[in-house]
Amino acid sequence: MAATTPPKVIFEHEGVFIHSNTEESDDQDLLLSGFLRILEKDGETVVEYKPLEDTVDPSNMLCAGKDSSSVVEWTQCSGEKGHRPMDQQLSCDTEWDMVNAVSFRRKPYTNGEGGLNHTNERSKWAFSFYVCDLKSISVKCEGWSYLTFHLRDGNTLPAVHFHQGGSEAFLDNLRKCAQLSECPDDEHTLIVSYYNKALSQSFENLLDDTNYGLVQKFKKDPYTTTLGGFSKVTNYIFDAFRGSELECQERPAEEMSDLLGELIPGLEINQQEEPGFEVITRVDLGARPEVQRREPVTVEDWTKHQDSEGRISNVTHLKHIIFKGGLCHAVRKEAWKFLLGYFPWDSTHDERKNLQKRKTDEYFRMKLQWKSVSEEQERRNSRLRDYKSLIEKDVNRTDRNNKFYEGLDNPGLILLHDILMTYCMYDFDLGYVQGMSDLLSPILYVMENEVDAFWCFVSFMEQMHENFEEQMQGMKTQLIQLSTLLRLLDLAFWNYLEAQDSGYLYFCFRWLLIRFKREVHFQDVLRLWEVMWTGLPCQNFHLLVCCAILDSEKQKIMERNYGFNEILKHINELSMKLDIEEILHKSESICMQIKNCKDLPHSVREILGFSAVPETSTLETSEYGILESPQTSPRATLRQDQLISNGHGHLRELSHNGCKVAFIS
Amino acid sequence: MASRSSLLKVILLGDGGVGKSSLMNRYVTNKFDTQLFHTIGVEFLNKDLEVDGQLVTLQIWDTAGQERFRSLRTPFYRGSDCCLLTFSVDDNQSFLNLGNWKKEFIYYADVKQPDSFPFVVLGNKVDVTERQVSAEEAQQWCRENGNFPYFETSAKDATNVSNAFEEAVRRVLASEDRVEHLVPTDAVNLHRKPRNTSTCC
Ligand SMILES: Nc1nc2c(ncn2[C@@H]2O[C@H](COP(=O)(O)OP(=O)(O)OP(=O)(O)O)[C@@H](O)[C@H]2O)c(=O)[nH]1
Ligand SMILES: [Mg+2]
Repeated sequence: MAATTPPKVIFEHEGVFIHSNTEESDDQDLLLSGFLRILEKDGETVVEYKPLEDTVDPSNMLCAGKDSSSVVEWTQCSGEKGHRPMDQQLSCDTEWDMVNAVSFRRKPYTNGEGGLNHTNERSKWAFSFYVCDLKSISVKCEGWSYLTFHLRDGNTLPAVHFHQGGSEAFLDNLRKCAQLSECPDDEHTLIVSYYNKALSQSFENLLDDTNYGLVQKFKKDPYTTTLGGFSKVTNYIFDAFRGSELECQERPAEEMSDLLGELIPGLEINQQEEPGFEVITRVDLGARPEVQRREPVTVEDWTKHQDSEGRISNVTHLKHIIFKGGLCHAVRKEAWKFLLGYFPWDSTHDERKNLQKRKTDEYFRMKLQWKSVSEEQERRNSRLRDYKSLIEKDVNRTDRNNKFYEGLDNPGLILLHDILMTYCMYDFDLGYVQGMSDLLSPILYVMENEVDAFWCFVSFMEQMHENFEEQMQGMKTQLIQLSTLLRLLDLAFWNYLEAQDSGYLYFCFRWLLIRFKREVHFQDVLRLWEVMWTGLPCQNFHLLVCCAILDSEKQKIMERNYGFNEILKHINELSMKLDIEEILHKSESICMQIKNCKDLPHSVREILGFSAVPETSTLETSEYGILESPQTSPRATLRQDQLISNGHGHLRELSHNGCKVAFIS
Repeated sequence: MASRSSLLKVILLGDGGVGKSSLMNRYVTNKFDTQLFHTIGVEFLNKDLEVDGQLVTLQIWDTAGQERFRSLRTPFYRGSDCCLLTFSVDDNQSFLNLGNWKKEFIYYADVKQPDSFPFVVLGNKVDVTERQVSAEEAQQWCRENGNFPYFETSAKDATNVSNAFEEAVRRVLASEDRVEHLVPTDAVNLHRKPRNTSTCC
């Protein structure tokens, strides 16, 4: 092809900055804002940076721009081996003719000698290079991400700062033409190996945590997909481009999974911020440690942990033994109220009695509200009518094989109905969503008391709320988090699922929506839930439960070469065949295995709530959370025993010693 | 005998509680489970049958009816050969919603020619005495919306259930060129059903 072909823009991101100060200087940076682009030109891929001509708008940035005397000059060093005269090639097309430098060597700039006018000074910072000349990229995060390119000839280009996000999208797009792998000795460095065929790239690098679901969707429907942010747009564009070859072999399963991307659009996790960089390559996890489970906590054990006034002492230990063995059924009625946060651990008998009294009044006040709605009123209230009719239908289809709910006119059914109706009054915006009856049923079964069951259910729903909301954001987040964990645990299996268009893990939907309620026997649900409510041994433990179950099935799935439909069927049919103790055993073991791993990807640490900071000792002594990089992604690091996870990355402080509340989002 | 059979995908749509899962179970296992759970997520069952001398594997998809779960169920509409629009004769609202279900299906299944797509309408729970929807009303709706066949069924006492599914199969077989639906009967990968139109770029 002639060299005059105009370059094709694969990626473009505006608002990428160069800080033009020296590292030694304490002075404020001079900020240059510009474009970062990936171009394809005659079959070669080029990365270029071009500063904008107009002045920097400080409101866009985290630090103010100011002229500084400590500017560094980057001099051209063309003619070094490996570099082609890019400027000539690109200048054919005026639009892209902004490259006046090939590569740079760092050189101290002395104030007197420069004397360049503003525009020239800016254009000096422009650079471009062939991707095949790129050796490595350092990825750092300081509240925002910034990348430094190291070329094969030994030159290092000025760091480009993504104050407005986009670094992940940039890397993702770069990954289409070059393989980026995490450097074994330095997690902040990506080693670049270049190859031409983008499609030969392995799945592991193609997808990032937040965007992978969007990619397929866009391929299908590039123009109508709602775009949440620029970084996503660029991903779409790339994939629309990349996808063109794949479109030819259409088949329903693939289309289905394309549309499953519907689950993902609107996904808002980490949309504004860029939490460092994320590539999950093969991390060596090491062996899975043996763990021991224990006998359930007995009435005796439980009472030993109470002082004379009824306060629970040594909560940490108590939670630990509950996590390890669950509870004997006789303890559940009392213990669940604490585990769910209805009763504060440090409350006395009297305080709890008062609390219950207040809560009883409150409950019946709300119950009266729907009880006293006349038929006339109901006719004019379609939402209430819809909630009511669905509750009536679902109550008749919830655990009817359980003694507590079986047969006609069983009082259990009426209670189930009344509590769900009252919950609609408690949270009318959410109302009743299918799945909620499954969450209430075991609680009511254990409490055997309408009011206590209601308030425990309210607490449980606080954890599960987001899963049921209009956009089902909690479900989307969980599916993505689960996918991240699976990729870490067994990339081969994850790749297999991906290849079967099942990478969205839609088949785990029921597991996650109602916390395995339909997957294990009723008595085992009780065990599983009380273990999960301890918040131990890590945040989002239920996702590791998913991993444990899938770990036991993956061999079958792969050996039998199951496809999209068969995977769904196989997983659906596991229901009631799972052994709870075996699963808990394995889940804990997986947790320990991950915890022991030193080079965990940031996203995994975040999901499981493992502190990213190595000096745990200082954290252990701090009473409250430490908010890190508050401008971007506040990550609270709190003592584990004070936390419970609500299942989608948010942390909620239990009402414990009147402690503060910390949120992660 | 014939070593090839057609894989037909049919999908049951309709409001929560109209009896979609019960109809599917009745047809595939010939049982009515009074302790059935409401559906969360997506399920499907296969059934082999012979219609007018032709072997067919029917893949019946069942989803959750609540509005909220739309984003979960709609991806599975694609590739359907037939859609069974279901309401319950003792629930007028579920009848009024038929039009919405039809629209949702056509939109997400990406049906190329909605006018000739085989829909079948099922009025379920005819065993119940307190009807809210009469057979005449339902038939009229079917006439006005594309001349769909209408069946009054009962999953509970098995009335008309297999008739309805078999009619669905006939409609599909009659409606299109079947050649590209043929897959070997012993195929394990039933999901690898080839598309009947090749839309190569
Ligand atoms: N009398 C009668 N009851 C039925 C019949 N079919 C289903 N039911 C009952 O109606 C209720 C709803 O049936 P399902 O099959 O669960 O309804 P569905 O359409 O699958 O509902 P979702 O899963 O919520 O979308 C259950 O209690 C069934 O026992 C029928 O033919 N006659
Ligand atoms: Mg159902």
